[in-house]
Amino acid sequence: MADTSTLSSRRISLDDPLSVQEYFHSRGWTDGLPVVPPTPDAVAACLDWVGLPADHLVGVEPVRGRALTAEKVAINAVMAGCLPMHVPVVITAVTAMLAEEFLLHGTTASTGGSAVLLIVNGPIRNEIGMDATFNALGPSDRASTCIGRAVRLVLGNLLEVRPGEIDRSTFGHPGKISWCLAEDEENSPWESLATERLGDPHVSAVTAMAAMAPRQVMNEWTTEPEQILDTFVAEMRANMRHYSIWPGNYAIVLPPQLRQHFQAATWSKSDIQHYVFEKARIHRREWADCGKRAVVGEKGDQEYAALPDPEHLIIVAAGGPAGGFGAVIPPWLGHKSRAATVAVGACTDC
Amino acid sequence: MTIEVLDPSYGDETREFSLAGRPASLADATVGFVSNGKQGTGRFFDALERELIDSFGIGSVVREVKTNYSAPADPEIMDRAKEWNALVSGIGD
Repeated sequence: MADTSTLSSRRISLDDPLSVQEYFHSRGWTDGLPVVPPTPDAVAACLDWVGLPADHLVGVEPVRGRALTAEKVAINAVMAGCLPMHVPVVITAVTAMLAEEFLLHGTTASTGGSAVLLIVNGPIRNEIGMDATFNALGPSDRASTCIGRAVRLVLGNLLEVRPGEIDRSTFGHPGKISWCLAEDEENSPWESLATERLGDPHVSAVTAMAAMAPRQVMNEWTTEPEQILDTFVAEMRANMRHYSIWPGNYAIVLPPQLRQHFQAATWSKSDIQHYVFEKARIHRREWADCGKRAVVGEKGDQEYAALPDPEHLIIVAAGGPAGGFGAVIPPWLGHKSRAATVAVGACTDC
Repeated sequence: MTIEVLDPSYGDETREFSLAGRPASLADATVGFVSNGKQGTGRFFDALERELIDSFGIGSVVREVKTNYSAPADPEIMDRAKEWNALVSGIGD
């Protein structure tokens, strides 16, 4: 049994687990779904697994100066259904979200309504049973669902990112319940996202991105990389026309059926990034075609790129074995927030 | 038989904020307007400036626009704000 004596959170005695549900719901501490009661033993077991003292400072939310401790993060992880072995990923995800470039307050308070998308890489994916294949962008496995939910509960309970409080989203989207996926590294022809961003081929890491809802595309009628990517580019251009013209981190998710065509054509991630960077562009005058004539102004001939540079395209290998589908995940609002990648076990301020 | 659970909220550590001091009078005061930069703030601040001049006799208005509407005001703006008698921060959409 792990030591519970160092836990400093207020202890609450309730009649039974059902009473816990109603008590927590009534205080706005849940997302509306049932939670696992965060008993001292369960929380201490999480801290024991991750090897952190209860008062370990995971990070400080830079706008409001909120210090987030390992104990509080672990409590919310338990509530979300996490097992102790999931908690290192939750801690890392929170660390990534606190990176200055992520702009956590802006992304979570905005009327734009983005969710936090977590992409997990490295050996830890397999150790905790994450599945990068079927239903990759949905509830694919226990670990992914619980980790994504834990982050949402952390935001709500430690930063009051709740609807109508800090969260001013006009709509939001279903990814705000839980959104976490693993990359299918074993079946990918490319280096992993984490390796690409951190330069370490063996690292386990989490990438956090402030993301709008995924847009599914389909092209099963060609094996040409350029034509496949033109479908993705069309969706990115549509987002620029209908939503936001500003450049930022777009993510594209490629399933095995499409990845095999890139592999056969010996296309690297860099090849894909450069192709999309050149093609995903619109002129401001195109806004007039979709009802935004009022903001075209004198800049109609100005060209806008979806990506500030090729490297801003996040390429993720994931998805079930059959289907020529793909997904485009637009950024929250251009470059205001940038995706952050942190290695599991890394201390960013030591 | 009871169950003991831990409070998941930020809880008692919540920092207490106090209101900024209120000037006794706005007559001849320098008032700063800090906009988040969105289009909707323009007309509101225009109207507010007229109202403060006509009804309260303020001396001048200094307008500042944040470089990132989703982040706190730039440190340079906050430095300049020290010279003002009052500040209005507006969020427009």
